Amino acid sequence: MIRFEKATVSYPGPGKPALNQVSIDVEKGEFVFLVGTSGSGKSTALRLVLRELRPTSGRVYVAGKEINRLATWKVPRLRRQIGTVFQDFRLLPGKTVAENVAFALQVTGHSSREIKATVPQTLELVGLSDKAGRLPDELSGGEQQRVAIARAMVNEPMILIADEPTGNLDPTTSVDIMKLLDRINATGTTVLMATHDNGIVDQMRKRVVELDHGVVVRDEATGVYGFQH
Amino acid sequence: MQLRHVSTNLRQGLRRNMSMHAAVILTLFVSLTLAGIGVMLNRQASLTTDVIGNELKVSVYLCVPDDPDHPQCTTEVTAAQEAAIVDTIENNPEVASWEEISKEEGLDNFIKLGLVTQAQTEGPDALLTADYVPKELRITLKNPNQYQGVASAVQDLDGVRNIVLAKDLVGNVFTIINVIKYSAWGAAAVLLLAAVMLVANTIRLTALARRKEIEIMRLVGASRIFIVLPFLLEAVFNAFVGVLLAAGALAALTKFGIIDTLDASYDALPFIGWSDYLYTLVVIGVAGPLLTVIPTLLLTRKYLRF
Repeated sequence: MIRFEKATVSYPGPGKPALNQVSIDVEKGEFVFLVGTSGSGKSTALRLVLRELRPTSGRVYVAGKEINRLATWKVPRLRRQIGTVFQDFRLLPGKTVAENVAFALQVTGHSSREIKATVPQTLELVGLSDKAGRLPDELSGGEQQRVAIARAMVNEPMILIADEPTGNLDPTTSVDIMKLLDRINATGTTVLMATHDNGIVDQMRKRVVELDHGVVVRDEATGVYGFQH
Repeated sequence: MQLRHVSTNLRQGLRRNMSMHAAVILTLFVSLTLAGIGVMLNRQASLTTDVIGNELKVSVYLCVPDDPDHPQCTTEVTAAQEAAIVDTIENNPEVASWEEISKEEGLDNFIKLGLVTQAQTEGPDALLTADYVPKELRITLKNPNQYQGVASAVQDLDGVRNIVLAKDLVGNVFTIINVIKYSAWGAAAVLLLAAVMLVANTIRLTALARRKEIEIMRLVGASRIFIVLPFLLEAVFNAFVGVLLAAGALAALTKFGIIDTLDASYDALPFIGWSDYLYTLVVIGVAGPLLTVIPTLLLTRKYLRF
């Protein structure tokens, strides 16, 4: 589903590359944690998957497409197959919960009928059916992240990218969010999640890929946050 | 594509940056009006050339006695001299036709132009009589710009008092038209540049105000046209209102300035009318949207980073 083949990303100016000869292969339906300290290259790897960046050398395949060769006009179609969740939720403050979720369908050209049918189902998936009319300000952090997840999932993507989704949440809420992501993964969606949250990683016992200064230093099928000694 | 979503976006966009949109519209209005005036003056110049220029006349005045301004004339032109002059005119390849304006007709023209009154031409103490008005041979040229040949062939003949080129008389009209036309175009160019810069600023501000929304649109896979569409619609809206205001101003100028005032007052010159106004409308109707849509397409690419 996602494959990095000796992918290197160098930003302009001096210094080491953000990613250096990284090779990772993520199968369809896998749940993979991307861990590492700040500046280790996690976000760069996620941006490659979203085709916000292109590798300086090497190859990156997402949903069967080699992103280096993907024409700019085809990028939106690729992104419709990827849901994205961020630490800061990135909800539109003037829109209700339902409108925030519907927004992802509206801007990708879905009809009103499709939107009316799909949005309630997605809100039910994330457990927010009763808060469809609320504004983001009126929700807790966990609820806001659920809305963001609903928006990411409403297009039924094959891949879900999560960049520190529990970074702004307390431990209990984080566990709830992880349960939700696990449920989404169980339906066949591939999940790639960058995180600093060692508790979550240790609890989930999923595949862990650790990056350090742009290099993969560990890739364990059922790993924990730090090295096991 | 969701029409309701697009129209909501357009409404919000216009409301969000209302003062900037007003500035763009007003600048477009003034600049398109000036550009339109330039186009109309160009049409006026063409019309003047078509009507007056194509009938460009050369007037050959014949000698009268006691004419201190023209010492070569000592007596009235003789019949033989006049025949020789007519013969030269008729044999000149540049001449299309000619006609004789008699002394009496010439005197009438003086009266019409207000140079003398009817009373001053009558009675024993008349200031001017037909005897002292030169006879005129009015030539129509085949090509209005080729007058030198006939002028030089005729001017040294005996019995010729002087030659007047109509070109010299209407030349001022063209000078005035050209001065106003180029001034209008110059001012329009400066203002249109200002309009384009205002469009750029508006796009920058809108992109900044909507950055969160645009980022989400990009991430969920909205196509480029969907993201750019609200900007394009705002540009088209601004152009539409700007063109509409300019069209109104130019219509008022055509009706009250040209048709009711100039055309009604001056019979000597032909004036442009509604058909020329429609032509101008097409020019500004095309130029207005292009001036806002092209910068929008270029600048959204810059500010929205696809």
